[in-house]
Amino acid sequence: MARYGMVFDLKRCIGCNACVIGCKQENSLPDGVFFTRTLSEEYGVYPAVNRVYIPTLCNHCEDAPCEKVCPSGATYTRPDGIVMVDPEKCIGCGSCAVACPYDQRSEMKAESFKDGLFGTGELTDFEKQGYPRYTPGMVTKCDFCSGRVDAGLDPACVVTCPTDARIFGDLDDPNSKPSKLIRERGGKTPLPEKNTRPKVYYID
Amino acid sequence: MAVNDLPIVGDSFKLGFRLQRYWDTPMASAFFFGELGAGLFFVSLLLESAQGMLAGLLITGLLKTYFHLSHMGVPQRSWRAILRPDRSWISRGLMGIVCFIGFGGLHLLNFWGLIPGLGGLFKLLAGAAALVVMTYQGFAMSHSTAISLWNSGLIPVSSLAYSATAGVMLLLAAVPESARFLVPVALILHLCVAVVLLSLLHGARHGSPGARKSVELLTRTLYAKWFFALVCGAGVLLPVLLLWFAGSVPLAAMIAATGTLAGYYTFRLLIFKAGVFEPIMSFRP
Repeated sequence: MARYGMVFDLKRCIGCNACVIGCKQENSLPDGVFFTRTLSEEYGVYPAVNRVYIPTLCNHCEDAPCEKVCPSGATYTRPDGIVMVDPEKCIGCGSCAVACPYDQRSEMKAESFKDGLFGTGELTDFEKQGYPRYTPGMVTKCDFCSGRVDAGLDPACVVTCPTDARIFGDLDDPNSKPSKLIRERGGKTPLPEKNTRPKVYYID
Repeated sequence: MAVNDLPIVGDSFKLGFRLQRYWDTPMASAFFFGELGAGLFFVSLLLESAQGMLAGLLITGLLKTYFHLSHMGVPQRSWRAILRPDRSWISRGLMGIVCFIGFGGLHLLNFWGLIPGLGGLFKLLAGAAALVVMTYQGFAMSHSTAISLWNSGLIPVSSLAYSATAGVMLLLAAVPESARFLVPVALILHLCVAVVLLSLLHGARHGSPGARKSVELLTRTLYAKWFFALVCGAGVLLPVLLLWFAGSVPLAAMIAATGTLAGYYTFRLLIFKAGVFEPIMSFRP
């Protein structure tokens, strides 16, 4: 069984946010909800100033704190390591949201589904086909586009990235692209002091 | 730029500290009324005050439940929260609440002579369940390593200390004749609350960058005036001063109790609002 993970190549990310838009389209996310973000920060002193872009999404931790605190059993880990949320079981208590050190949980507020993307109270055809996959009020997150992965495709953010800064694959396969990159360029995980063992790595 | 210099970035696409915004006023109110009701019930159980026990059960059973349901995204499925006591403090707490209301109600009925026998057992179980309700919310918070301010063993202690203090103060205000016994207890409990608050801030001040940011929010910037005026002033100093007169002036006990509750509620609210997520810094250039 594969163990899916992702690598972010910080040298390649140009902060175009195409991944963010690709994710919103693929997952039919309502206004204000993002499963992935590209954070930016400026550093240095003029004239030696630089900007770094840091893509973020759910890290699908091996020891996922969100799963441990979920009182309803809605959050679970698939055998391939993808951490999922069952929309039929989530009660929207937010325990997972305050347990995730990476702030990667999103509340699907009921009013977002009523107002629509344009705030007119009328849903577009795009919204009508996409919103039924969520229960209004639930708390959810990135699932590595599990439907696409099951169909043998890469997640939407990966295929949308114009610079190949996002690399997805099986971390247990030593010959997979992410495994090679982690091995060759020393992948680092976010906030390792939290002991969550993320399956998302950064290389620079 | 050092980690501590990074700003609070809200919901923007910038690197920095992010405020916890998932548990807010309704959850703070639910925590407050849950601990208040359980604390009042526990103190009333020890002093055998039926009115106090009834009030405690009603506060927890009605107000805590109402605010919890208003917080829930999918309230019609709230029963599911009881399903994972093996790993979730929310589940354990919900079981505690069910036991508290159940055994507390049975004890009260037994106390009034409406049902016979097993009085001692009901009292024991109701007291134990009340203790669970007084503390489990603190454990639910301290279990989270994501928010450094909460990730402290002092959070459940603060729940217990505040819960007991609020219970004693409410009973003192409602039953002035109990002042002789309750005033020294209330003074000691307020001292405990002060020590817990100071220890919590001190520990966080020397903790991770996120914990330091939370202390900064509470004591120097955004929430400082509320923290010092209500949590420290109205919640600890004012009651301690007024308690000296509570034995002879019932109004002093009522004002002191109001101050304690105002400070306690503000603490519950601010501890949520000042919770921050750490910036992702491990691979920063």
